[in-house]
Amino acid sequence: MIECKNITKIFNQNRHNEQIALKNINLKIKKNELTVLRGASGSGKSTLLSLIAALSRPTKGEIIVDGKRVSKMLENSTAMFRRENIGFIFQKYNLISTLNSYENIILPTIPSNPNEKELTRHVDTLLEMFSITNKKESLVKNLSGGEQQRVAIARSLINNPKIIIADEPTANLDKKLSLEFIKTMQKLKQQNRTIIIATHDPLFFNLNFCDNIIEMKDGHI
Amino acid sequence: MKINHYLIGFAISSLFRRDAKSFFIIFIFTSLIFLLSSILFISNSIKEELFITLDSLPQITVQKLQAGRHANIEISRVDKLLKLNGVQSAIPRVWGYYYFENAGVNFSIVGIDSFDKQYKKNFEELVENIDFDELEKNDSMIVGEGVKEILSQNYYKDFFNFVKADGELKKIKISSVFKSSTVLESNDIILMPKNLVLDIFGMSKLKVTDIVLEVANPQEIPTISQKIKNLFPDTRVITNSDLRVSYQNIFDYKSGMFLALFVVSAFTFFMIIYDKASGLSSEEKREIGVLKALGWKIDDIIKIKFYEAFIVSFISFLLGIIVALFFVYILQAPLLRDIFMGYSRLKPAFELPFILDLQTIFLLFFLTIPIYIAAIIIPSWRVAIMNADEVMR
Ligand SMILES: Nc1ncnc2c1ncn2[C@@H]1O[C@H](COP(=O)(O)OP(=O)(O)OP(=O)(O)O)[C@@H](O)[C@H]1O
Ligand SMILES: [Mg+2]
Repeated sequence: MIECKNITKIFNQNRHNEQIALKNINLKIKKNELTVLRGASGSGKSTLLSLIAALSRPTKGEIIVDGKRVSKMLENSTAMFRRENIGFIFQKYNLISTLNSYENIILPTIPSNPNEKELTRHVDTLLEMFSITNKKESLVKNLSGGEQQRVAIARSLINNPKIIIADEPTANLDKKLSLEFIKTMQKLKQQNRTIIIATHDPLFFNLNFCDNIIEMKDGHI
Repeated sequence: MKINHYLIGFAISSLFRRDAKSFFIIFIFTSLIFLLSSILFISNSIKEELFITLDSLPQITVQKLQAGRHANIEISRVDKLLKLNGVQSAIPRVWGYYYFENAGVNFSIVGIDSFDKQYKKNFEELVENIDFDELEKNDSMIVGEGVKEILSQNYYKDFFNFVKADGELKKIKISSVFKSSTVLESNDIILMPKNLVLDIFGMSKLKVTDIVLEVANPQEIPTISQKIKNLFPDTRVITNSDLRVSYQNIFDYKSGMFLALFVVSAFTFFMIIYDKASGLSSEEKREIGVLKALGWKIDDIIKIKFYEAFIVSFISFLLGIIVALFFVYILQAPLLRDIFMGYSRLKPAFELPFILDLQTIFLLFFLTIPIYIAAIIIPSWRVAIMNADEVMR
């Protein structure tokens, strides 16, 4: 499903602030696997996730996701690729704080001009699934951290992606909410999705439904 | 292509989310469109008015000069002028200025006669229904609206006592008032029978103020002028093209004023554009990054920015034009109008004729809206082509 071949990512190449974030990474993740990426801050976890989601391109190497060479895709194809395949839960959620929950959740569907009825039904199911139905009309900036995170998860699922990528999803949550998040991930795995979670939260390190734990250090695996 | 109403809805909600900013921009934009279009509307109307006035000017005016100054001309010359080849009619005119001390203004007194075709052109509708004999018998006059207003402010409701050249008073009744909605200069005019004018000004019955000529072929105007100069070396011959030039000069001076205002407004407009073009707030940048990360294409982002800019600029444009139309043609452009026409106590009653000049409106449209849209889209586009993860950092 996801294959990284000899990936290197260098920021600000050939400048005084050159930064080698990833060095010769090789990685294979099969369909429906749950992978945990762990490693110290600055070890390159977020960088790797961005490359897989085609948010940026590797300096060297190749990334193949679901048979497509994402590392060589043109700009607009990467957008389509993300919209159709990837649900991204960001480290800081990246919600638009002045929109309400409903509006945030439907953001990924807007460019494809969705059918209104189907969309509403889908959003309602997701709101229910994450127990935030009563927050549908609330501005995101007025929600608690846990509620915001659930809106972010709902948003990542709105386009029914095959792959879910979560970057430090529990960094701002207490233990109870973190455990709830883990349960959600288990449910999503049962729905045949491929999941990658970058984290240094020890709660993730001995999950019985986790398939791989990849340890990162200074841009290496 | 099906219109994506979610994108339009998103654009509208973005405007409302930044309501203070959006309304500020709409306010400034509307004010500028209002100012620019008001100026253009006024100058168009005045131009139109001038052309009407110019059309009614006599083709040739003959004046007598004495010691370099305008003097009255012998009425006997009319017949001699009529004998010149190409001259169709020669009409002696009697007119002058009367200084009304109480108000500090000059009235133009014009003598009229039942057989003078010339006046039928200028005061056509008016003159048609006048009984000249009645006017003369009753010592009456017809006054412009501006004159009527000034007189009644000074307690002359139905008549006025003119001070004649010899110091005696001459009481003349106001028989009617004429509206001066189309002739720029006619608001300060008083019409009365020629004999009364001669009496008030103390002029000889054998002399008139000037003689106006009509020629059969306008091409011959220069030749005929030359012949008149030869025939009467003591005259000044003014052709309508001379008058046209001097009227145009007055107007050009005014369009200079207009240009100055235009430049000031345009400058302000570009200041705003500059401010907009100089960059997006970090919040706006982050939003673009988020949308891209969620699978929006660059052109999806450009589209919402286009909708936002178009909605703002189009609403402002419409508002500005509507307010300007109201201001210029219904309120008659208070303040601004004085800049164009020079302040005079007699002139305010003159009405700006309504001309909907679509060309002007299109010009304004294409001068402002595309520039504003570009100023919104270009910086957004610059952010949108960056990698999403870098924008969000
Ligand atoms: N856009 C960028 N420009 C320059 N340097 C960058 C950029 N993105 C990441 N880096 C650098 O690359 C290295 C890896 O960063 P990355 O964000 O992948 O680490 P991380 O493992 O996700 O850390 P954390 O646990 O703190 O989130 C860091 O040293 C970071 O400073
Ligand atoms: Mg990170």
